[in-house]
Amino acid sequence: MTHDFTKAHHLPKRRGGQDQADPYDLPRQRRGKTPQMHGRYPDYDVLEQAGAWDEPTRAVVLARVDDVPEREFFTAAEAATLGAFCDDLLAQHSEPRIPVLAFVDAKHAAGKTEGYRYADMPPDAETWRLVARGLDEAAGGEAGAYADIDSDGRERILDAFSSGDLEGGVWAELDVSRAWSVVTRDALTAFYAHPWAWNEIGFGGPAYPRGYARLGIGMSEAWEGEEAIHPDPVPDVKRKGLE
Amino acid sequence: MKDLLKGSVLPRDNDSARLLHPTRRDIPGRDRMRRFAHDDEVDMLVIGCGAGGGVLAQRLARAGWRVCVLERGPFWDPEADWVSDEAGSAHIYWNDVRIVGGKDPVQMGKNNSGHGVGGSMVHYAGYTPRFHPSDFETQTRDGVGTDWPITYRDLREHYARVERELPVAGQDWPWGDPHSYPHSPHPVCGAAERAWHGAIQHGIEMRVGPVGIANGVFGNRPHCIYRGFCLQGCKVNAKASPLVTHVPDALEHGAEIRADCMVVRIEADASGKATGVTYIHDGKECFQRAAAIAVCGYSIESPRLLLHSSGPGFPNGIGNAGDQVGRYLMVQGAPQVAGRFPELLRMYKAPPPEVSSEQFYETDPSRDFARGFSIQTISPLPIGWAEHVLADGHRGAALREYMRDYNHWAVLGALSELLPQPENRVTLAGETDQFGMPLVRFDYTQCENDRRNIAFAKQTLHDIWESAGAQDVLTIDRYAHLVGGCRMGTSPDNSVVGADHRVWGTDNVFVADGSVMPTQGSANPALTIMVLASRLAELLGRKQLGATHKGAYARAVR
Repeated sequence: MTHDFTKAHHLPKRRGGQDQADPYDLPRQRRGKTPQMHGRYPDYDVLEQAGAWDEPTRAVVLARVDDVPEREFFTAAEAATLGAFCDDLLAQHSEPRIPVLAFVDAKHAAGKTEGYRYADMPPDAETWRLVARGLDEAAGGEAGAYADIDSDGRERILDAFSSGDLEGGVWAELDVSRAWSVVTRDALTAFYAHPWAWNEIGFGGPAYPRGYARLGIGMSEAWEGEEAIHPDPVPDVKRKGLE
Repeated sequence: MKDLLKGSVLPRDNDSARLLHPTRRDIPGRDRMRRFAHDDEVDMLVIGCGAGGGVLAQRLARAGWRVCVLERGPFWDPEADWVSDEAGSAHIYWNDVRIVGGKDPVQMGKNNSGHGVGGSMVHYAGYTPRFHPSDFETQTRDGVGTDWPITYRDLREHYARVERELPVAGQDWPWGDPHSYPHSPHPVCGAAERAWHGAIQHGIEMRVGPVGIANGVFGNRPHCIYRGFCLQGCKVNAKASPLVTHVPDALEHGAEIRADCMVVRIEADASGKATGVTYIHDGKECFQRAAAIAVCGYSIESPRLLLHSSGPGFPNGIGNAGDQVGRYLMVQGAPQVAGRFPELLRMYKAPPPEVSSEQFYETDPSRDFARGFSIQTISPLPIGWAEHVLADGHRGAALREYMRDYNHWAVLGALSELLPQPENRVTLAGETDQFGMPLVRFDYTQCENDRRNIAFAKQTLHDIWESAGAQDVLTIDRYAHLVGGCRMGTSPDNSVVGADHRVWGTDNVFVADGSVMPTQGSANPALTIMVLASRLAELLGRKQLGATHKGAYARAVR
């Protein structure tokens, strides 16, 4: 399988209606972790840079890896449904997974708010519980039902949820699009706050007090990861002087 | 000669940059800060220590006024309190719930609301453009919005003065009132360079800057290290906010900045004379006497406080006899379009604000809407990028694929001037918060001119990326900034304050923040908020106020 990321053929909108590129064709992560262990920067582990970060930043970032919060806010049944929902939303279908729902749970257990609430919506924490009920209703009714149906069924529900097309039951009392915006915001924040996700996308991460020096097109700091765009081993080995 | 001096001149009447410690990042002078007693009548009590309140406090303290600032949030220590991390920075935003309604509700919090000493400038990107002369007379010129009771000329000297204090770095500016900046433009990162080339190919002029980030020697303010976390609070102290540009000098001249104090009421007698404010600190209610009060809480909290301060002389709130408080609140349409390129651009490096254009700022009769928009480069970090990708309609494996592609993208944003409308307003909701104060409700609905402006701006961004040869584009619709809500005007029937910032019907209550702006242009508002406060301080110092004053307030203005 050849990857040429200078071209854009791999991007969803450029695939001419073809199915999603299979991420399992991507290089396996060789250093550190990424969610599901695939990525574009197989020899880059941002956590190896933690020694260059300031202390308050290091504490905040490392806690996400080392201290995953226990479930406190959601019930076990809600967690089963919402955990499956977060996995689908973020395509986390195998280990290692970033424990997205654990961070969402901790946020709402601590009563943290975002600074606004839509006039026609309940508080965000309540919206999460209603979404759990609504997903289960859409999947057949029982608590936890969403997690038990097959992936095609879940995909159909997710598709309807994202386009605001869920109806009846809970969804009759909830603005579906706003509920989508509330829960995706929390889930995306939890996922892309995690250094494993930074490894996957090649994000340089915290840079105080060191800063960044090589800002130009195509330039990288010495410690930044190389993108795996040369899967042909013959030139690659030559280029890296590994002969 | 001007070029020889570039970057080497410190402001004459603000020592903040020199007062900062060369290597420590916390703010000097807090340990020996003056403390006023509650029954000590201060000359000016400032509510809110952001762009407006910070500058006003510094100016008045330097002029010998006894100034006390009450700030709802903490007194930040950039080294200890801020992190180089998106999700870890939630505490720097105003997270108390505001109810948002209308047909096009505005998301509040991290996008537009700060708290703590330094205010929203702690997390603004750093763009500091001036308003254009046309912004002050959109009714006369374009038949939309309203005219200000002051003109660009009233602010011009203050623009130059505040730009030197921040200091602003950028190329010579060709738009609006052409001017140059005290510091040279910063280096341009790869992502912004891509955008700039695209703009040139599309026939659009862009310039580097203007940003309130030191680029060279400036007292003890360090140079920018291009770490990219401007929106999470500048740990370096390179990016300007009142915390580093005005607070050190204010403390040095005897101002007290009392943090973690939520003002809940302005206390005034029936004649319109305020006597002080009631505030909550550590769960306890306190009263601070004051001869005059400046409300600097920004477009949501300033109207909220005035509305909540009803009394015998003000049954509907202070300054609200004409039902104007909270109205004409504005946001800017801020769509962003990302373009994809073959090379690694790593847009997380360098400040998110780099290169901008005001070529489309004014009304163009060939377009189907009045007024215009500006174009700026912007660089979302991973969580911001995820919101962008999701907004373009991708989730699951497609979302992850676009996210993995992060380092190949550059982002352009527009700021569309949306028009002031009376029904876009702040009101008090039925629920109360932890201070016993009614929650705010903020309704917002776009008008047809707004929609056309945003659509045209978005198309222009797409065209730039097409000219630049982008391989793919992704689009997000969003808002930015807040202004209006206590607008400046000519009478209590059309405004909350007069040209001298004094609230109609009061003797000694002023508003000095973004809420007084009658229009917003398509400029980021921070610089102009500071400039308005600077002008008000000058008026107060010269006693050039619209009416005669009696009693305690007259003593204060001496």
